[in-house]
Amino acid sequence: MARTPRPVYTNHDKRTTLDDLAARVADGALVAVGGGLSSREPMALLRAMLRHGVKGLTVVGSAHGIDIDLLSGGGAISRSSESYVGFEQDFGMAPNYRRALESGIVSVDDSCCYTLVQQLRAAIQGLPFMPVRSVRGTSFLSLHPEYRQMVCPFTGEELLLVPAIEPDVALVHAQYGDAQGNLLIQGPPVADIMFAKASRAVLATVEEIVPTERLSELGGVTIPYFYVTAVSEVPFGAHPTACYPLYAYDRRHTALYYEAARKGAGTFSVEYLSVFVHGVPDHADYLARIGGEKTRARLSSWCDGPEAWKRLYLDEAVA
Amino acid sequence: MTTGCTLGEMMIATLARTIEDGTLVFHGFGSPLIQLAMHVAKRTHAPRMVLVAGATYGVNPEPPFLAPTTNDWVMDRGASSSLAIGELFDLAAAGRMGRMFLSGLQIDRWGNCNVTALGYPNITLKLPGGGGGCNLSCDAAYVTLWTTAHRSPEDAKGQRRFRLVEDCDFITNLGHRTRDGRTAKELGHRGNGPQWLVTELGLFDFDAEGKARLIAVYPDTSIDEVLENTGFTPGLAAQVETIPAPERSVVELIRRLDPLKVHEKEIRAEDMRRGYAIA
Repeated sequence: MARTPRPVYTNHDKRTTLDDLAARVADGALVAVGGGLSSREPMALLRAMLRHGVKGLTVVGSAHGIDIDLLSGGGAISRSSESYVGFEQDFGMAPNYRRALESGIVSVDDSCCYTLVQQLRAAIQGLPFMPVRSVRGTSFLSLHPEYRQMVCPFTGEELLLVPAIEPDVALVHAQYGDAQGNLLIQGPPVADIMFAKASRAVLATVEEIVPTERLSELGGVTIPYFYVTAVSEVPFGAHPTACYPLYAYDRRHTALYYEAARKGAGTFSVEYLSVFVHGVPDHADYLARIGGEKTRARLSSWCDGPEAWKRLYLDEAVA
Repeated sequence: MTTGCTLGEMMIATLARTIEDGTLVFHGFGSPLIQLAMHVAKRTHAPRMVLVAGATYGVNPEPPFLAPTTNDWVMDRGASSSLAIGELFDLAAAGRMGRMFLSGLQIDRWGNCNVTALGYPNITLKLPGGGGGCNLSCDAAYVTLWTTAHRSPEDAKGQRRFRLVEDCDFITNLGHRTRDGRTAKELGHRGNGPQWLVTELGLFDFDAEGKARLIAVYPDTSIDEVLENTGFTPGLAAQVETIPAPERSVVELIRRLDPLKVHEKEIRAEDMRRGYAIA
């Protein structure tokens, strides 16, 4: 049975507060978190959601790291349909995510990137499923009894049918937006455009809200406003992930995060959550807590040239 | 003057040699050895290769240095264009991706890889997940597998936890044959599956049946050492060769590409001591 069509959002002014965005994510929602790995994750929004005490989320995505690990450590997730959650070879496996999935608190519903792409495409096109040729023969079929096999009526080939995924909400952090909700993403959009088109609602944070004409000058709109439900200006809203060209990935903060997470759930709660999430009433306090202007200056130094950029990634710079 | 190279550099050069010129090649995340192998190939024997960077999907980038994370603007500097996520995977599904590099915490004789979980369905260790590897293992024309953790020393109880295993607990990436004996070809997949497996102990190809076969070892490893550290009995080439050291220019190129030595994070501490003379 097809759900009602996704709405188009036509309000002229969708500006709101970060807390209001966070409050719109319902317990139990199917959530697509934008960005990828160490880049443009909507981290301020995720922290605000944890302060609101959101529970029981199912998360879908391609390549993720600290975002899903933080939601796992904060007790917000009950099912993970991600394709990858980790800190690559740099720090290693995601500690909170691992604990949550190994303990059974979060059920394992892993997917893979192209399967997800096809499932989002089905939703975007208003179709119930899409076919893929791959995946057959792997263990993903035992993990996903909802997949179906068919013989192509045209060629006789065996294909796998994967059902549409229509997230309840996509959470996106972009460099720029306007009051109406037009979003401009600079650099790799990862799956954000597909997430925005496939989801019932899009909640966006942006580094800066600018007039619509300015968006054209800056490169044009990546996600048109009518997909977007609400937008909030949250400078440094992706920290500690990168939001180039404004700031690079904060590897030093990530090292601090990882060390707290690695030591166990209790330590993570005391050393990280209660300091950087629950211990700060709002984003302004978070910015002060991470070092304010000094940190902003350090992370924007990447644009001084390759040597300055490199310095941000030296192991010595992490300590 | 550079007179020697490390194991990491030896592996990068070996991985680079698996890339053909004029093909579209992709890598995933968390794999600096592969990123470097692709950049080495592009700048040496495969100038017409279409190098698509993992995570950023930048085409033919020239990063000023290798960053410790894949989705960083460092990694797509100089790219002539960028692909959308769907576009990259469509290329593979349509049979236009020449090679993909894949790995796993478990790899079996058929080249199946587990990057999902140990102990499945009663999970004892949740791994990060395979990204798009599952799809690409079926769709890419050829796959090069690699691991830097083939060696599996005995623990206190005399047990070995093999990386190269008899059976994967979960098949994330498909090799030549599934658990129930169907071949990837019978399943109608586009790709020809794993062609090479490069480890820190040796180099394997896959025989006509699709089974891993040892064809070369390093100057400082032996056939016995490979067999001892492998959970299945691999085939052996009639003549097991010695993996050649890279040319000096290649070693110097790797050092220019990776001044932060990011790739050493992939190499185990005990393997950091290994070194080879170069001509």
